[in-house]
Amino acid sequence: MREILRNPAGLVGSFLLVIVLSAAVLGPFVAPYDPQQFHAASRLQGPSAAFWLGTDQYGRDLLSRLLNGAPATVLFGLGATALGVGAGSIIGVIAGVAGGRVDSIIMRVLDGLLAMPELLFTLLIVTFLGGGTSQAMLAVAVTFTPGMARISRSAVLSVRTRDYVQAAIARGESRSWIVGREVLPNALGPIIVEATIRVSFAIMIGATLGFLGLGAQPPSTEWGLMVAEARQFMFRNPWCVAVPGVAIAITAMGFNLFGDALRDAFDPRRRRI
Amino acid sequence: MTAPQDDRPVLQISGYSLAYETPEGTVAALDDVTLDIRHGETHALVGESGSGKSSLAWAILRYLPANARETTGEILLSGEDLRAKTQAQMEALRGRRIAMVFQDPSAALNPAMRLGDQIAEVFMRHRGMSRDAAWAAGLAALEHTGILHPDRIMRRYPHEASGGEKQRVVIATAFACNPELIVFDEPTTALDILTAQQILDLFLRLRAETGVAALYISHDLELVGRIADRVSVIHNGRIIEAGPVHEVFSAPRANYTRDLMAAVPRPEMRIAVPEPAPAPPLLRVSGISVSYGGPGRIARMLGRAGQPFYGARDVGFDIRPGELLGLVGASGSGKSTMAQVISGLREFEGEVAFGDRRFHARRAFDRDYRRAVQIVFQHPDASLNPRQTIGGILSRPLRLYGLVPRAEVPARVRELLETVLLPPEFASRYPHELSGGQKQRVAIARAFAAEPQLVICDEITAALDVSVQAAVARLLTGLQRRSGAACLFITHDLNLIRQLAHRIAVMQKGRLVDSFDVAEAESPARHPYTRALLQAVPLPAELQGAPAP
Repeated sequence: MREILRNPAGLVGSFLLVIVLSAAVLGPFVAPYDPQQFHAASRLQGPSAAFWLGTDQYGRDLLSRLLNGAPATVLFGLGATALGVGAGSIIGVIAGVAGGRVDSIIMRVLDGLLAMPELLFTLLIVTFLGGGTSQAMLAVAVTFTPGMARISRSAVLSVRTRDYVQAAIARGESRSWIVGREVLPNALGPIIVEATIRVSFAIMIGATLGFLGLGAQPPSTEWGLMVAEARQFMFRNPWCVAVPGVAIAITAMGFNLFGDALRDAFDPRRRRI
Repeated sequence: MTAPQDDRPVLQISGYSLAYETPEGTVAALDDVTLDIRHGETHALVGESGSGKSSLAWAILRYLPANARETTGEILLSGEDLRAKTQAQMEALRGRRIAMVFQDPSAALNPAMRLGDQIAEVFMRHRGMSRDAAWAAGLAALEHTGILHPDRIMRRYPHEASGGEKQRVVIATAFACNPELIVFDEPTTALDILTAQQILDLFLRLRAETGVAALYISHDLELVGRIADRVSVIHNGRIIEAGPVHEVFSAPRANYTRDLMAAVPRPEMRIAVPEPAPAPPLLRVSGISVSYGGPGRIARMLGRAGQPFYGARDVGFDIRPGELLGLVGASGSGKSTMAQVISGLREFEGEVAFGDRRFHARRAFDRDYRRAVQIVFQHPDASLNPRQTIGGILSRPLRLYGLVPRAEVPARVRELLETVLLPPEFASRYPHELSGGQKQRVAIARAFAAEPQLVICDEITAALDVSVQAAVARLLTGLQRRSGAACLFITHDLNLIRQLAHRIAVMQKGRLVDSFDVAEAESPARHPYTRALLQAVPLPAELQGAPAP
């Protein structure tokens, strides 16, 4: 952890993450107004003493909506990543450990899936499953699976040929011991790092789906949906698009920078002697 | 050698100190180093890993990492202060007045450029030649190294040339502009014995012709004794002792130098266990072949039968109980392939007979066989799981084979650590907290923990410093004496194996070409390849002799 904070990117990333996560945990309790309450008298206003970040087309307080939307948005990112990384690593580890024909078949199928652009693939799945937050989450997770499988397979492969694994094979260890105790603990680093970076992608894809009306449905306070709903009023009050947009950017950047720093900290070659 | 023509040294380093800033604080790399090299002189810098010898080379070439801090001293090239030069001035100087030859030629050459272009580049950069003229000059330079078919080599890419050919190209590049000084950073360590010998001959010839001053970095004392005029022994960033080679080596003043000299393996100083009584062989391998890259099923169906490459072909030898068999050969000769076959890590054809049991496939090896045959690998850094404690690593064979009751495992681990001369507290440490030599001791302890009848040692001393090497070899024979286990010791170091082994088997290109009792090593009946290998490594006795001719 100290290693991450010494890195300037890691410091900024951790700082942004702390802001976003505290907003996600405390947001709904500290929000000044009810996020769905209309203030008909003050619609599409800029920041003021009453409404710190302004109001949207129905006169709803943007700050309150933002804080209420934080848990949903962040949970969406974390949930989709956890599902995708979980499924992907299991497939990848099986391919890497089994090797031979099993490996070839799994990887060719995954190559086929990878050939489709990520967003297009997600859209395809969402259209199939229908709109909604959990469907969108599932779609993002499915999209992440092939990439994660590839990464965890290569992590396993690079560990599998190390001498300590060879020593375990020569000792006559059981397969489950070799995978569980010798290979996996040493292959987890790159998987965890990649997962952190992917949280930011998940949030962005989630926001995109929300924007296209395929993710969360109104009157949800999901950030992507906030941008989508407000876009026709962008020229009358830019704040109602900018506020959720910036929030998405900050969250994505926080996870991204943190993931980068985490990778640097895990990689001994990047450490100075 | 050539008499100094100029009183001023080509390279003069005086009172030079260097430190690195790390997150853990400032670490001194070089401390008050003073050294000078005259025209035509070869100055050897001898030290173990981490002694600062490479730091000094980079300091001379002015290519230090950003966290390096130079505190005192100066570095003069023919009287010019290198520390005062700008980046641009140094770039013009490198390759023209100072050149460097690296340890690993395959890492020093650009894999995406033809060898000829890489030599010609030096002429174009520093002599301002046109492409064609530079190519011709490069060809002449390469021809001069005595390489076969220089025009063909020029058109090849690095991966199409052998290690020796690549190192000749690197040397031709270094000598291209007749520099005043060349820094050699262990130029022969990455090559096998016979090629290394040819590269050394080339170095001696070019040095005599050009009169270049050379700083020769090495950890190999016998080699330094043959080629250098003067030597500086460096330890922990400090020059411990310096002087003419024969003086330093025949009468070392510093204790450290004396220890280093004592650690050089000498065939006449046997440290082997006594010759075991004649007995039926413990392990007999016969007709072992291992092939790589044979045609796959689909390729065969299409009638495309590729030629498989044989890592080992029809190899057979036996090991008697309690014996130490040495297996030697150049890199790629199939020594390690045999280690993998016997330890059950690679599929093979042929027969492995152990005691009265016979195995014909890798899958047939059961847990009993695997307990009785243990392996120790070359790289101690890679052979211990970084996420397990030393205690965890050592207790694994005990638990796996149920050798001691569960409650007595920690006590047995402490005992094992003591037998390999490590403190019992190490049980709670992780591998990265240990030095290379200590890690190798742990790997040896793990092998002997299984109470094996045969231990395979695959180049276990190759990655270690000379002084540590000798200690590890002694430890191994000590354990052998105590446990009565036989040992298959794979190495390319002939002097070391003649100290350790009872019998020696020689492999070349996947085949076993010779096998003999160690006492008969010098016999004229030896296979020509064995004789060539033996001639390429001089006996260290020559170190004590008169100055090199």
